[in-house]
Amino acid sequence: MTHRNAPAVTASGVPANPFSTRHTRPGMLPPLDAAGVPIDPGRLLARLRPGGMAIEGPHGHGKSTLLHALLTEAAGAGRPTACVRVGSRGWVQRALSAIGLARPGAVVGIDGWERLPVAIARVLIMTATCRRATIVATTHGPTRMPVLMRCETSPEVLAALVALLPAHGGRIGAADIEEAFQLHGGNVREALYDLYDRFERRNRSLPVEAALPGLAPGRQSQERPERFLVRLPGP
Amino acid sequence: MSFVAEAARSTPRVIVQFCRADRRYDPLDTLEVHYQVDGLEDEAVRAVERTVLWYTEGKGEEDLGVHFFERIADRQRLPPEAPTERFTTRLPPSPLSYEGVIVKIRWCVRVRFFFGGGRDFVSEHEFVVGRIPPARIPVAPA
Repeated sequence: MTHRNAPAVTASGVPANPFSTRHTRPGMLPPLDAAGVPIDPGRLLARLRPGGMAIEGPHGHGKSTLLHALLTEAAGAGRPTACVRVGSRGWVQRALSAIGLARPGAVVGIDGWERLPVAIARVLIMTATCRRATIVATTHGPTRMPVLMRCETSPEVLAALVALLPAHGGRIGAADIEEAFQLHGGNVREALYDLYDRFERRNRSLPVEAALPGLAPGRQSQERPERFLVRLPGP
Repeated sequence: MSFVAEAARSTPRVIVQFCRADRRYDPLDTLEVHYQVDGLEDEAVRAVERTVLWYTEGKGEEDLGVHFFERIADRQRLPPEAPTERFTTRLPPSPLSYEGVIVKIRWCVRVRFFFGGGRDFVSEHEFVVGRIPPARIPVAPA
């Protein structure tokens, strides 16, 4: 996770937008529950059983973020991990090989389970069960798999995420957060894009030098697992 | 020379020194960078990677291009034996830094330390290539 600077200014003198994808993509922010409290992925990891388990929730409710955190936790615990996004290049082959070659205890994330053909879904679940591996699938609706977590959002979640992002220099207020959340029906991803636009509009209507003088300090990240999500299950 | 420093929440602190005080370069200029790391305490550094790269930043998909990359694993060139290091590279003709509304193009020097415990620490320091002014959002007359 990136260290926060307040306020962050780019080298060209323009304040950096804290709502850009660079800061908000899965893996950059922790998963939060509906009250805005961080979810402990270790507790979810302990609940995994061989076969398939689902992370349910509508668009922009933190499913991919939670899946990312869970796989990071699993990798940190020494378990083989892999992640396949349905629809990405070569996803069928990667999904089949990740699960077909999975070792016991492996955790394989499938992002976008509802787009999977039913026959392939059944094969994957059966194979994972046989190999004592776990598929963790993100899905928008109910499946036959047991539910690991139902993701929910609230204005408190969005406010907590904004507080974790690099400083916005007072350009975004509580009313903006509430409005963006309501406007996008609880879709936090879209609400963050909305805040991105608001920040840009306000940012560029201010005299930059007067608002935030000086050059940008460097960004420094916290330490993180070195080999994140690169260990595919071996034969 | 200008100093760009930042206190991180974790122990290491990387100080990067650009050869131009304003960190503004033209295409094909030579970029010379000195860096120093403090606060490593007893943690052994296994390797250091220094990179000069550009990346896009905005609302959508991201892209990046690496212009210069070097990995140092020789103990004599790693902290604490070598607390400061430098490198030089000639910048390419493009892409130029751009501060757009939907997308931005940024250049940075990235110094990454790999520690013995399998952890790493990344420090990024931005600079500007070219002279494209930031985009402005047209404001409707009142």
